[in-house]
Amino acid sequence: MSTRKIPPLPAAGEEIKVAPGAYPVFSNAVAMGLLRAVRDPEVVEQADRVIVANIDGMRTAVLDYIDRVEAAARHSDNAGIYDQAHEIRGLAGNAGLNATGRIANVLCRYLDALARGGSKPDRAVVAIHLEAIARAAHAEDEATRLGDAVANELSQLVDKKLAEINLSEDGRRPAGFIAP
Amino acid sequence: MSGAAFDGLKALVVEDNVHMRTLLRSLLMALGIKHVYEAGNGDDAFQTLRDKLPDLILTDLSMKPKDGIAFTREVRLSDESPNPYVPIIMVTGHTERHRVEAARDAGVTEFLAKPITAQNLFLRVAEIVERPRSYVRCTTYFGPDRRRHTDEHYSGPWRRKSDFEKDLEIR
Repeated sequence: MSTRKIPPLPAAGEEIKVAPGAYPVFSNAVAMGLLRAVRDPEVVEQADRVIVANIDGMRTAVLDYIDRVEAAARHSDNAGIYDQAHEIRGLAGNAGLNATGRIANVLCRYLDALARGGSKPDRAVVAIHLEAIARAAHAEDEATRLGDAVANELSQLVDKKLAEINLSEDGRRPAGFIAP
Repeated sequence: MSGAAFDGLKALVVEDNVHMRTLLRSLLMALGIKHVYEAGNGDDAFQTLRDKLPDLILTDLSMKPKDGIAFTREVRLSDESPNPYVPIIMVTGHTERHRVEAARDAGVTEFLAKPITAQNLFLRVAEIVERPRSYVRCTTYFGPDRRRHTDEHYSGPWRRKSDFEKDLEIR
């Protein structure tokens, strides 16, 4: 008999394990149906067509978020810059803008590490990323190696900037670090 | 298209970005899931969970006011959760390790990194169906067992109570 209740809290250091079947799982008929579907080439093709059909909408959304991230930068709104850049990195790949997404990801990595370390971002570093994001999103050769090269260069820049302030990517300062 | 076998299957997509939400819903429908509900944040999602009782959840991580981590925690631990065992696939563009770890520790079943591909989504669904995981309850966690693989060559450290008991049995 299966249950949908959570087991009671065990004592400290102990754990309770609930095996599949002791809680409700998909019936055999549903499981077999789902597995047949995910392995059906026609279904996979149809799903791929869905992704292609959404590219234009995604691209429009990315351009809209670029306007928003630039507005956040004009107001020195660092949390806003992170939020909008995060949206860009999430959508860009499905918009066919891979380099744009990679550059946005580098910017997010930089802002996240600084926020966790309690430091403020270098405005020039933010500005150069935003410029690169906008140019990549509008460039006809976005998908070429040029966009990837820009993303790689910016990633190295961010690594260097974080190292300058003795901040690792997870926002931690090394042991013995004394703030300037 | 396959279908009749899971006519009654229900899925919930939780995503604040309407474009991504539409894409995920369309992919699930292409898979043959006919009942796909949507929510734009964790609060609305929990209400939908209670109303519609989905069998599968896809959720984004970053949403306001309630994000995917808080939502997952609520699904797993709230007294008002209708199914704390429901599979949750977290769909995220986050690459920062601390965020992914927080999601895992909230009780996410699978991760799906953006950009979305049909193949990757379907692989996660197949994983959930083929290899449903045990759930673990301890003082700091309730959710799918985070230890996925048994490493035959693992030589320790052995920290779990069951490890000590096994050791005693051997002696």
